Amino acid sequence: MWFFKSKNKKTANPQPPKTSPKEEPNQKAIIKLKASLQQNIETIKNALGNSSDIITREIRIGKQGNIKAAILYTDGLTDTASLQKFILETLMIDLNEIDLQEKASPGQSLVSILKDVAMTVGEIKEITNLEIILTSLLSGDTIFLIDGYAQVLVISNRHWVERGVSEPTAQTVVRGPQEGFNENVRVNTALIRRRIKDSNLRIESKEIGVRTKTNVAIVYIQDIANDKIVEEVHLRLDRINIDGILDSGNIEEFIQESAYSPFPTVFNTERPDVVAAALLEGRIAIVVDGTPFVLLVPALFIQFFQSPEDYNQRSIIGSLIRSLRFVAFSISLLAPAVFIAITTFHQSMLPPSLLMSLAAQREGVPFPAFVEALIMEITFEILREAGIRMPRSIGSAMSIVGAFVIGTAAVEAGLISAMMVIVVSITAITSFVPPSYEMAISVRMIRFVFMALAAVFGMFGIVVGLIVFILHLCSLRSFGIPYMAPIAPFNVTSQKDTLIVSPIWKMTNRPRLIGQKNPVKQQEEALVKPAPPENEKDEGNMK
Amino acid sequence: MKRYVFGLLFFSLFLSGCWDRRELDQLAIAVAVGIDKADDEYQVSAQVIVPSEMSVKGGTGGSQVTLYTVKGETVYEAFRKMTKESPRKIYPSHLRMLIFGEEIAQEGISEALDVFSRDYEIRPDFYVAIAKETSAAEILNITTTVESIPANDMFKSLSVSEQAWAGTKSINLDEVIADFISDGKEAAITGIELIGEPNIGASKQNVETIKPAAILRYDNLAVFKGDKLIGWLNEGEAVTYNYISNTVKTTVRTVPCPAADDGKVTIEIMKSKAEIKGNVSNGKPKIDIHVKLDGNVGSVSCKIQLKDLKTIAELEKSFEEQGEKIGEEAIESIQKQYQADIFGFGEVIHRSNPKAWKQLKENWDEEFSNLTVNLKVDLEIHRTGTINNTFLEKVKE
Repeated sequence: MWFFKSKNKKTANPQPPKTSPKEEPNQKAIIKLKASLQQNIETIKNALGNSSDIITREIRIGKQGNIKAAILYTDGLTDTASLQKFILETLMIDLNEIDLQEKASPGQSLVSILKDVAMTVGEIKEITNLEIILTSLLSGDTIFLIDGYAQVLVISNRHWVERGVSEPTAQTVVRGPQEGFNENVRVNTALIRRRIKDSNLRIESKEIGVRTKTNVAIVYIQDIANDKIVEEVHLRLDRINIDGILDSGNIEEFIQESAYSPFPTVFNTERPDVVAAALLEGRIAIVVDGTPFVLLVPALFIQFFQSPEDYNQRSIIGSLIRSLRFVAFSISLLAPAVFIAITTFHQSMLPPSLLMSLAAQREGVPFPAFVEALIMEITFEILREAGIRMPRSIGSAMSIVGAFVIGTAAVEAGLISAMMVIVVSITAITSFVPPSYEMAISVRMIRFVFMALAAVFGMFGIVVGLIVFILHLCSLRSFGIPYMAPIAPFNVTSQKDTLIVSPIWKMTNRPRLIGQKNPVKQQEEALVKPAPPENEKDEGNMK
Repeated sequence: MKRYVFGLLFFSLFLSGCWDRRELDQLAIAVAVGIDKADDEYQVSAQVIVPSEMSVKGGTGGSQVTLYTVKGETVYEAFRKMTKESPRKIYPSHLRMLIFGEEIAQEGISEALDVFSRDYEIRPDFYVAIAKETSAAEILNITTTVESIPANDMFKSLSVSEQAWAGTKSINLDEVIADFISDGKEAAITGIELIGEPNIGASKQNVETIKPAAILRYDNLAVFKGDKLIGWLNEGEAVTYNYISNTVKTTVRTVPCPAADDGKVTIEIMKSKAEIKGNVSNGKPKIDIHVKLDGNVGSVSCKIQLKDLKTIAELEKSFEEQGEKIGEEAIESIQKQYQADIFGFGEVIHRSNPKAWKQLKENWDEEFSNLTVNLKVDLEIHRTGTINNTFLEKVKE
């Protein structure tokens, strides 16, 4: 039902109501600072409501100590060591020994001279707009004001306590880089830059969230990524007009195409190597400050079954594991439904000995197979949800209770048949096989629909459900790219990385539709195919 | 509003479901069905699984199957009447055995078979057998030991035996019907007999002793003419029938030693292929049968030199002569005694000379009994097992 509903919505109301968030601040009158130091400090302090974490340090500089100045910074977000060493020390001690006028170019203001000559820090800006000054101050920059000037120096020496670069928790691999993103957008872009030292790698920044002013970076490789998609990403991000963005998930909800589809059309990862690989394919990354989860668009169905490990080990193993994931996906989606359909409608499909054994197990079970399956599945979902939220120390106790109650006691009490426990367990295990948690959740949800269809119509219902399921998948798009590409629309060259994984030297092209702008990623196959040295070639019949 | 109407219509689709929904515990899984004649009616017996007795937890120690016997004007009616006794509806999809009593077989079984080929719930992969000198209900009432479900016991022992012994042959519903309707072939259906005490055989006591008081055994084949039983083949005739109809997988056969010795040699047949060629000359049909066999020496009880290739050739010859003799006798006996073409020679003639067949088929039974049949047996012995000469010659007197 919702499949149709979402479709109707999409056509009736293609986008959220269009507002222009970016213009709003501009409509407010720009407040500029005055030339008086005392007044400026008051203005800033009033604007921030005298917050206790804003530190004001008034100093006097110059040879005679007659120039009044002040430094403002947010305690905890500013690197106080560099503040002391490179700003306070310079201004108050080193400056006394040089003649500023000598170094100044004609007509230069004192603020400008100080910026050019005295401040031994990397990033520094001269600003008068109060709004920007406040944002910078709250982001951890140091504000330097001098009496008599309306210009203010914004010195970037942000530093706060953050989680280091540690192993990714949700997407682990056995073989491959063990580095994960952290919560700092700069660290994250640095991790990407470290992997792709290409001059065409573009990192464009944006602020989203009227109040949180969250830093968002759009990362792509300029000569690979499709310009139109890049433009579309900008457009969709600019459309967001919310007070706060706390995680990339918030952004995902705004930029995805079909809001009510159970399938994710935006990929997320906490692995820099996955982002780097996606960028090289022509995808666009959206790095959001405050979360280690980086968004990747466009996201295709097949992408949710690709793990970085597929490429890090030999292709034959990668292929085997890749196909195993699709098998697991199907089991996780259909196992309980097929079991219900066969045992309540199509008993004649079972081999006689299996039917007899199933019939023996079912003897005395008070519920219909569908209700039995529903009870077990819901119990399992509850257990799983409880397991995530629960303090780790209680976890093991609960898993024992869960396994015991569901696995053993329910069967022994005759409430549930043993086969149903097996079916639900295999379903539960297989649902963890896709490398992407999002896809696993979608399947969890749709499984119940299939179970209901199977209970009402048997195999017929499952087949009709599958048809609708596939139609829906084929109707989805992610940033204009068909979701099921390269299966539908079918593309031969892209099959090298779909159901199986070809050897890396065989994948000469980027995925079509995504990397169309610059399709070739390595030289012709024949040149790179591993082969024994030349002189052995005659004997070995290598071609 | 439109959406609600659509939703209402969509959900009303679900109302059409569930009508043929049955839980596993609402089924009486019939594994064997027996059909007998009772006055003018059919007496149908169904051997039905008792699932609670099959569970791993053990059950109460009762029998794993139960038998419902009901009379009805037709077989189908009898099945429905069974619900008067049975708490669950009979579910025939997993039928393993369909057994006819000898009495009804003599009167014709095709009327009773119709429902089995018509009903959508029945898979026609079960074996058909004729109870020899007893009723089908009697056969279904015997407890068995190795396989505790008697129907499974019958099913498995038939499928194992037909692969290991040339005297038995399984036949399923489709084959029976095909033989019934063919002009040039008559049916031969497996026979099953009850040996021992039926009264004890029906009780649990039967399976509590090491040697059961009553057992079920496949014996020979029932010859049909049309859909009526007309007689039983003896062992030699059944074996000949199986060789000629190419249903021998493996078997063994004993021949006397080529040397004057009084010992015997058993040949294990590993592969058997019969080529049947028919032709009509001067309106006289003729059949040539060439049976090609591959075999091994299985056991020896005389002092022959197996290392010597001549001995092997002699063995082959002795086997071939014996085979041809038994075969020819059997064919002639079937021709004269029953006048029923169970070998399907008529079909062979039909294929080789369709025109002549048109005339011949009118009077085929008579033609069959006067048919000239040439039988040639060819055996090739490949191996003699793990030893050559027998150790018998070294055994101290």
